[in-house]
Amino acid sequence: MPFMRYKVTHTTQYKYAARVSNCFNLANLIPKNTPRQKCINSRITVLPKPTHTSQRTDYFGNQSYHFEIQTPHTELTIKAESEIQVQESSSDLRLDLGMNYGDALKFFKQNTSLEVIKAREFILDSPMIKVTEALAEYARPSFSLSRPLYTCVTELTRRIYEDFQYTPGFTTIATPLSEVLEHRRGVCQDFAHLEVACLRAMGIPAKYVSGYMETLPPPGQQKLVGADATHAWVAYFSPNEGWLEFDPTNDLRASNQHIVTAEGRDYYDVTPVKGVIFGGGKGPILSVSVDVARQLNS
Amino acid sequence: MSDSPYPQNQPLPQVQLQSQAQLQGTVQGTQKAEPPILHYPRPPAGVSDQVYQADGAIKPEWNYLLESLKDLGVNALNERQEKARRILRDDGVTYNIYDEGIVPNGQWELDLVPAIIGSEDWAKIESGLLERAELFNLILRDFYGPRNLLKQLSLPAEALYGHGGFLRACQGIQMPGEHELILHSVDMIRAPDGSMCVLSDRAQAPSGAGYVLENRTVMSRVFPSIFRDSHVHRLASFFQRLRQKLISLSPSENQARVVVLTPGAHNETYFEHSYISNYLGFPLVQSGDLVVRNGFVWMKSLEGLGRVDVILRRVDDVFCDPVELRSDSHLGVPGLLDVIRSGRVVMANPLGSGVLENPILLKYLPAISKQLLGREPRLSSVRTYWSGDEHDLNYICTNLNNLIIKPIYRGSGQRSVWGGDLSQSEQDELKAKIRAKPIQFVAQERIEKTHIPTLVKGALEPRPAILRTFAVAADSSYIVMPGGMTRVGLGVGQQLISMQAGCPSKDTWVTATEPERVVELHTQEASQAEQEALLVSLPSRVVENLFWLGRYAERAEASLRILRTVFMLINSEQAITKESQKVLLRSITEITGTQPGFLNATDEQLANPEKELLLIIKDGNRPGSVRSSLNSLLFCADESKELLSSDTIRVINDIRDALDNLEVSLASGLSSAPEEALDPLVIPLLALSGLMQESMVRGVGWHFMDMGRRVERAIQIMKTVTTLITPVVDKADNETLLHAMLRSMEVLITYRRHSRARAGLGFGLELVMLDPNNPRSLIFQFEQLQNHFSVLRKNDPGLRELAEEDRVLLEAITSLKLSRIAQLLEVKDSSRSNLTTLLTQLNRLLSDFSNLVSDKYFDHRIDPQQLVTTFWGE
Repeated sequence: MPFMRYKVTHTTQYKYAARVSNCFNLANLIPKNTPRQKCINSRITVLPKPTHTSQRTDYFGNQSYHFEIQTPHTELTIKAESEIQVQESSSDLRLDLGMNYGDALKFFKQNTSLEVIKAREFILDSPMIKVTEALAEYARPSFSLSRPLYTCVTELTRRIYEDFQYTPGFTTIATPLSEVLEHRRGVCQDFAHLEVACLRAMGIPAKYVSGYMETLPPPGQQKLVGADATHAWVAYFSPNEGWLEFDPTNDLRASNQHIVTAEGRDYYDVTPVKGVIFGGGKGPILSVSVDVARQLNS
Repeated sequence: MSDSPYPQNQPLPQVQLQSQAQLQGTVQGTQKAEPPILHYPRPPAGVSDQVYQADGAIKPEWNYLLESLKDLGVNALNERQEKARRILRDDGVTYNIYDEGIVPNGQWELDLVPAIIGSEDWAKIESGLLERAELFNLILRDFYGPRNLLKQLSLPAEALYGHGGFLRACQGIQMPGEHELILHSVDMIRAPDGSMCVLSDRAQAPSGAGYVLENRTVMSRVFPSIFRDSHVHRLASFFQRLRQKLISLSPSENQARVVVLTPGAHNETYFEHSYISNYLGFPLVQSGDLVVRNGFVWMKSLEGLGRVDVILRRVDDVFCDPVELRSDSHLGVPGLLDVIRSGRVVMANPLGSGVLENPILLKYLPAISKQLLGREPRLSSVRTYWSGDEHDLNYICTNLNNLIIKPIYRGSGQRSVWGGDLSQSEQDELKAKIRAKPIQFVAQERIEKTHIPTLVKGALEPRPAILRTFAVAADSSYIVMPGGMTRVGLGVGQQLISMQAGCPSKDTWVTATEPERVVELHTQEASQAEQEALLVSLPSRVVENLFWLGRYAERAEASLRILRTVFMLINSEQAITKESQKVLLRSITEITGTQPGFLNATDEQLANPEKELLLIIKDGNRPGSVRSSLNSLLFCADESKELLSSDTIRVINDIRDALDNLEVSLASGLSSAPEEALDPLVIPLLALSGLMQESMVRGVGWHFMDMGRRVERAIQIMKTVTTLITPVVDKADNETLLHAMLRSMEVLITYRRHSRARAGLGFGLELVMLDPNNPRSLIFQFEQLQNHFSVLRKNDPGLRELAEEDRVLLEAITSLKLSRIAQLLEVKDSSRSNLTTLLTQLNRLLSDFSNLVSDKYFDHRIDPQQLVTTFWGE
């Protein structure tokens, strides 16, 4: 199976209007291991130097990095560097499209395997995603009981790709889904949230996946460092196959160009950097730069 | 003192029965108003009760109590009820009912007729409760651990995953020792068949244990002999076990430092938080008093940061850490959860325990219990249907009329409703809601609550009762508090029984046939004063509040004093000049700080000042008014309640009452008898200042409270001198204004006593500013501040150089001592510029001192903010 090796550098910087006396943060920046990817090594550097740090695997299997800074500062930099090996998704060319939607619904109800019991958590509402009739209404045309679930999801992904316009700056992370649905605009986080919500509205377990995607420069041009960005897509639970990842922003199944950082119910569970600061004045300025560099020795 | 002439378990003397019969005859026959006898008749059929047996006889455990009450009579019982109310009020027992205004004050209601449970009956209930606490302990461990209950299908996955109290951030947190769950409470009722039935479990931060203790204290004071002869099981051991358990949780090898975390004085059960923290001897802290640093939790105190090992929380878990839990919370400590995870601090109950309050568990409890304990639970729970189950959903929708519909999570903003109370369209609306989010609702059958006798308008009437019980982890199992808190409904058959609805509470007596052997040593009976001495390290916030308590008390007192003085002068037989009246009224505005007030008043307003004067007293929206100062004083007192003696709390309550009644006392205006109108405020303030001097241990708290008082008094003296003495006026006016100053500063008598030898402005000014023996002189205040500061500074040895605070005070005292009265009174260009210069300088020094103290000792917390804003919508 073909695999790629990447070095990802993800730098987050906050500039504050006033001095921050101390802060407590939680970063989800270290890529997790999944069936199709392995994090070979990873390092987080924080400036100013934290007085205390800890790392753990959280409830969703993500790597959480906690740090506490007691040095007064007006600028905070968090740099995460990781080397990751990523495989192609297992089956891209499928002859068998698998279980149909109607059987899948029955399967989720009746199957009592551990995997399915765990997956049922991802059918329910989560902090940032509440299923509404409007969302179900949008999703419904792609789903019929006799149709293979895989085809339903592929079509839903394509419709989101076609119906919604990628418009940076139109939404923030706090923009509710109802607005995204109304205006048909947003960025990858919004489309991922939207697709997760649609899948859940149809009774399918769905996760929000955060990570990176390698972007390739136009032919003949040098790729600019830092031109990449954080990315988000979805995974749904396919009976007998497990979690399959789809990218509604690019109308793709996740490939070996998709590098996972963390997975959860929604953005709330995988927020790259969150926390509480004391002081700092109004309107901290956030800048993020991401560089996904393909390692040639692979 | 005896409230019953009969020893227990003996038949009533025949004579007494006869006399009662006669008594009834007399009431009918003559006008003599003999008190009616207090009898609890058998409730009519249809009202089930706990007192009568099927054959109509009174159950043995109730017999002694009812006979004693009968004998006591209505009047005596009413008197005792009044006495109980007074004790509760004087102890400051409140249950704050929400949306009641800025300064909460809900009086705690205690009905004097206790609920009785016989000790054999109790033994059965107790063993059921122990088993239930153990069961919930295992459930909690499983939910945040392997989740075998889901894997083995004892509980549907959605029942856990869909509950707002399941905090995923708490996965894997482990408590030291054998328990995850430290405190477990249950709300239960007695069904008509006599069995107990659980309505709900409380595992978050169960409230009520402190109120039970207070109820018991009151009962044993108003019914000493009935209480004694009933052999009531004691409560003390429950609290000793709680204390032991908390200490045993400490991860530190040194002496455990335990704190009680409260959301603050506005919480509905704040009384209990301060009561319990005092009873257990642990400091009461709010979120701002705690801070995470270097991976540990610390309490900010005057001595700096002190490590905290164990936190007994009275804050709901989702609010405890804005980094990982609810990001909009201001009640938590940022970074706390990660310290808990590392085991460097332990919290009880653990974060995440709110998941046990999920009512879906009641439906599946038999299956869960079979999996975890190998048997079904002994105590039954109310029949519960869950709309997440298809079969139940249909049942709920077709039987909505006869079910209570509840959201599964209390934080969801939904309320419980009785389906039968809803109109057809409301029912349809509710059904649609349930069908849209079936996981989020349960429905329960309404069980008839049995009634117990309750004192209602001088008669014993049946009222439905509910019991909250309390269990605390101990050894390998739990200890259950004997009895618990009983609450009764406001009417026969009333379904909703809640504190928020104003339902009264009752003491619950588990009575033994034999007196209980007292085995425990009552180490907790330490007096309030000793308790205070033990709390050496106080949170900085409490100290700051004590400082301001002193300042506001003095400010209110000074305002009232000048108001009273001016009233007296204006209304005295000897008319004062217009000029004097003007200066006096302006001085009121300056001293109270209620500008513009009289400063640019018209002649008309100056001639008829009463309206403005009344506003200066009673307008709470006006900073500087007496009411506003007193409101601030009450706030500071609430924030430092756990350090105030019970007498002080009594006086604080008097101030609260006087404020409530202010409109009435001022209704007839002030001109006729200002003394009387203001007395209800003046008297408790004087009592407060007396108590501060005489009943408070000279600890750190006292020093700060008195410093606050001195600082404020010095400010008031300077304002008074500035407004009354610096203006250059006629001789007659001089005389009036000097008189006013001396009277408002309580030195008029001293002045008069010496006035044969010396008199005049000079002598007056000397008394007020320079007399070191006058406790109301300016120099006295500065010297007192110096004394306080030198005591506080003992904690800070090694410093040879004078501290900045010392310098400031020294400069002030020296300037005062070096001043010459004659020079101060000199008039140049129609002003006393020397006096003005000195007062300006002293004012600056005092404000420097106040700022230095505040910077050094008080906590200047910057408000935290979130780096990212995400929804939290569960």
